[in-house]
Amino acid sequence: MRIVYDGSFEGFLCVVYAVYYKKIRIQEIFTHSSFSLLSFDAYEIQTDTIQAKKVLNTLHARFEKTHYERITHIFLCDSVHVEKELLEYIILGFKDQKYLENITIPSIFRLHELQKEFFRLVHKMYGFVRFVELEDGNLYAKIETKFNVLPFLGKHFCKRLASNNFIIHDIKRKLAFVKSEKSTQMRVVQSFEEPTHSSDEAHFSNLWKVFFQSVAIKERENKKLQQNFVPLLYRKYMSEFS
Amino acid sequence: MKTFEKLSILADSAKYDVSCSSSGSDERIKYGGIGATHNSGICHTFTSDGRCVSLLKVLLSNSCIYDCSYCINRVSNDRKRASFSPRELAKLTIEFYKRNYIEGLFLSSGIIKNEDYTMELLITCLKILRYEYGFDGYVHLKLIPGSSKELIDIACSLASRVSSNIELPSSKSLKLLAPQKSKETVLGPLIIARDLSLKKSKKPILMSTQMIIGASDDSDFDILKTASILYEKALLKRVYYSAYVHVNVGANLPIIPQSTPLLRRENRLYQADWLLRFYGFKYDELLDTQQQNLDLNLDPKTFWALNHLEHFPIDINKASKEQLIRIPGIGIKGAFKILKARRYKTLNLEDLAKLKISTKKAKYFILDRGKYQKEVPLYKENLQLALLSPSPKLIQPLLFDENYAALSGEI
Ligand code: SF4
Repeated sequence: MRIVYDGSFEGFLCVVYAVYYKKIRIQEIFTHSSFSLLSFDAYEIQTDTIQAKKVLNTLHARFEKTHYERITHIFLCDSVHVEKELLEYIILGFKDQKYLENITIPSIFRLHELQKEFFRLVHKMYGFVRFVELEDGNLYAKIETKFNVLPFLGKHFCKRLASNNFIIHDIKRKLAFVKSEKSTQMRVVQSFEEPTHSSDEAHFSNLWKVFFQSVAIKERENKKLQQNFVPLLYRKYMSEFS
Repeated sequence: MKTFEKLSILADSAKYDVSCSSSGSDERIKYGGIGATHNSGICHTFTSDGRCVSLLKVLLSNSCIYDCSYCINRVSNDRKRASFSPRELAKLTIEFYKRNYIEGLFLSSGIIKNEDYTMELLITCLKILRYEYGFDGYVHLKLIPGSSKELIDIACSLASRVSSNIELPSSKSLKLLAPQKSKETVLGPLIIARDLSLKKSKKPILMSTQMIIGASDDSDFDILKTASILYEKALLKRVYYSAYVHVNVGANLPIIPQSTPLLRRENRLYQADWLLRFYGFKYDELLDTQQQNLDLNLDPKTFWALNHLEHFPIDINKASKEQLIRIPGIGIKGAFKILKARRYKTLNLEDLAKLKISTKKAKYFILDRGKYQKEVPLYKENLQLALLSPSPKLIQPLLFDENYAALSGEI
């Protein structure tokens, strides 16, 4: 059967629910957004928090920690569609956890590789995020990334900027990680106004550019190599490239 | 002088020092304000020559009373001189850090007035960072050769990593190119630092050093031997190699028309060093007094394998991890994938490709389904030729690709 769900993590858990409790056999999985372009029938899975919770608790109880976490990491890779592989992963996992390390099974291998790609991106972004200082002294960063790395960035910078408040704003996903004295939380950003920078901001971002240019060794210029490491799509918010 | 101009002079003067990775440190101290160090080293950007920028790497001052011939800051050079005040630099570090430009500070200095005076200024900067700003991030400090034991002790307690560049692998070359330095003075700070941290029986401070490649006639064998000895004596966590950049002219210095071969040599040395540290190779397995230099055209592992064909071909379904990682083209990650996958099935060449392990080199050194490949006989000369021949580009695949032949009806 072809099925369509809303693309959320809860929605996907309800797909799993449907497989186990309603005994639905699945051939293809679509999300609402990918499906609207197509015109054939499909069975729609309604997202239901109670069902989702139930599945999540079962996964938590039955899956080893790393195997369980892999599911959530894969779901943060929201720009690729691997629902089928992920479903197979879960089905295999319920049979025997051992399958989940068997990289000779194509879907398992795909998910292992995707998870690695996800963490490579996370690691890159640890370095490439740029904060600006705002009028009120808070720090503010914009990002646009292939996968949803915001939860990881938030955690990372909480450790690193223990004495500062900051906001990391995922422009495309309209999400923000906000850390203040009182709390840390993820928020949906409905609309926003470009914030005003502090009076020092331009000074330090210019100093950074000066530094960036002075450390390059002209005799060994190799822009291609540079671009391998910092592909153009990452440069949008990196002040040294503007 | 404005901060802008100082920064540009003092960053420019420090850039030839390569020993700058922030990896492999973990949170050891807590000053409680800003900053944390990350285990695997984070690159914040890459320079136009493709190097990772992780730290604010500057000199406190580029004035120096020494006259090392390879150094751009030597006293006999007519250069614009600048100095940061310790406070100015500490503030700059914090402002850069909180914007996530950098992982931390790499601080070094030319020798101002005398060794201890310089060391004291560096320590002042570190103290402001740690105690006033509560900075918990990474600080790499270059110890000043010849400064007192007490100051080195304080420096080690404040820094995340310390280093002292031995610059040249032999005393002979040091005498020639850096007559005011000796093996004893450059190694001195490292020995003091090691003994101090051994005595306090706390986690030893991380140390590294740098050697300049190609400024003297030392061979790769000499260089790797020196590096191995330093690793073995537990003195160092890392040795960095830096291809000599021709910044000065001098009677004892080599004239180097272009730097490409030297950069390649630097690269080969890094690869060999990697083999020493992570792959269980010994320097005298890679090179010996007969064969003193690495091959610029082959990576050191392939180079070693060709000289030791008695270990090959290897059966990837039976070999131990130690054997697997000695196969050219198979790295540690690849070896782990093999070990993991072969629990479920007997692996062949196609399986390796599916696991995204490159078989370009490896195929000449392994058994596939119990057999050795037939194209190239297992002799050094033949294999060398096969490994060095440029990877088939346009013409060859067309000639040998059956699908293509079927399509066009031609060869
Ligand atoms: S002591 Fe250091 S800064 Fe001074 S000339 Fe020698 S290498 Fe250069």
